Amino acid sequence: MWLFLMLIILLTNGMSSFGLKVLPTWGFSSSITYAYLTVWYAAGLVCIGAPMLFKGLKGGLKEMWLGAVLAALSIGGQLAMANALQAGLPGNVVFPVTVGGSILIVAVAGRLFFGEKMHPLSWVGVVAGCLAVVLLSVS
Amino acid sequence: MRDGMLMCICGAVSFGLLATVSKIAERKKCDASALTVGVFAWAALFMLGQSIRVAGKFQMTWPVILLAVGLGVCAAVAYFAFQTSIARGKVTIGWLMMNLSAGVPAIVSIWFYGEKLTVFRSAAFGLAFISLLCLFQGHRLEAQAKSGGEVG
Repeated sequence: MWLFLMLIILLTNGMSSFGLKVLPTWGFSSSITYAYLTVWYAAGLVCIGAPMLFKGLKGGLKEMWLGAVLAALSIGGQLAMANALQAGLPGNVVFPVTVGGSILIVAVAGRLFFGEKMHPLSWVGVVAGCLAVVLLSVS
Repeated sequence: MRDGMLMCICGAVSFGLLATVSKIAERKKCDASALTVGVFAWAALFMLGQSIRVAGKFQMTWPVILLAVGLGVCAAVAYFAFQTSIARGKVTIGWLMMNLSAGVPAIVSIWFYGEKLTVFRSAAFGLAFISLLCLFQGHRLEAQAKSGGEVG
């Protein structure tokens, strides 16, 4: 099951941001970005929310307020990256620092706050993965 | 330049906290689908507000709507899978996988737009492959050790 979830993440998450690369090639200006992202988020909401409705499942208050915190962090991260680029920092610095830094923070938090111990082979995988992400950002 | 670097660090902290708060939500026994709905509902509301504030209207063409729907579904499925996976595995590996997935559009770009396969990209794909092998094998060994410990 875990392996299956990892493969789903691998195949879907990267593709989800592909649209922002496609829009300029279709001749759309950046002014359409917010409208595009509104539909993008709304589609995701319906995709997960509709099956919940059919099953009669309801979300609680903790999911709503933690959802608000997560949405704020996601939007905050995107805006910080956009501002860094606008401040004149090149993309090959902004993306590796942001992505690599976030992985480092999660690895430290996982170890310190959640007591996650990893096999040495997994650590090799994390280091190789971080390098791959940084190289992908640079290229 | 200093402001730009500060913004970069803010971005890293925001994304790092995003994964950390997701793990806190899992520890608080939050339902993964309800949490995903919460995240996407708040973000859609914010984007709608921004869209109306910046452009003064909400206008889209059908191809853009179809693109947004298809890829928005991908994003929701990815976050739902991430939230479900951290109940069974490590948050670090889940988050790394979220970021490694950037390789997929890079492959699509090479195939679709005829972009060049540079030395950097080749090295990145090679490292990503090694990383995936190590992570999957590491997870298998951890599971084996855990079940061995439980039996013993």
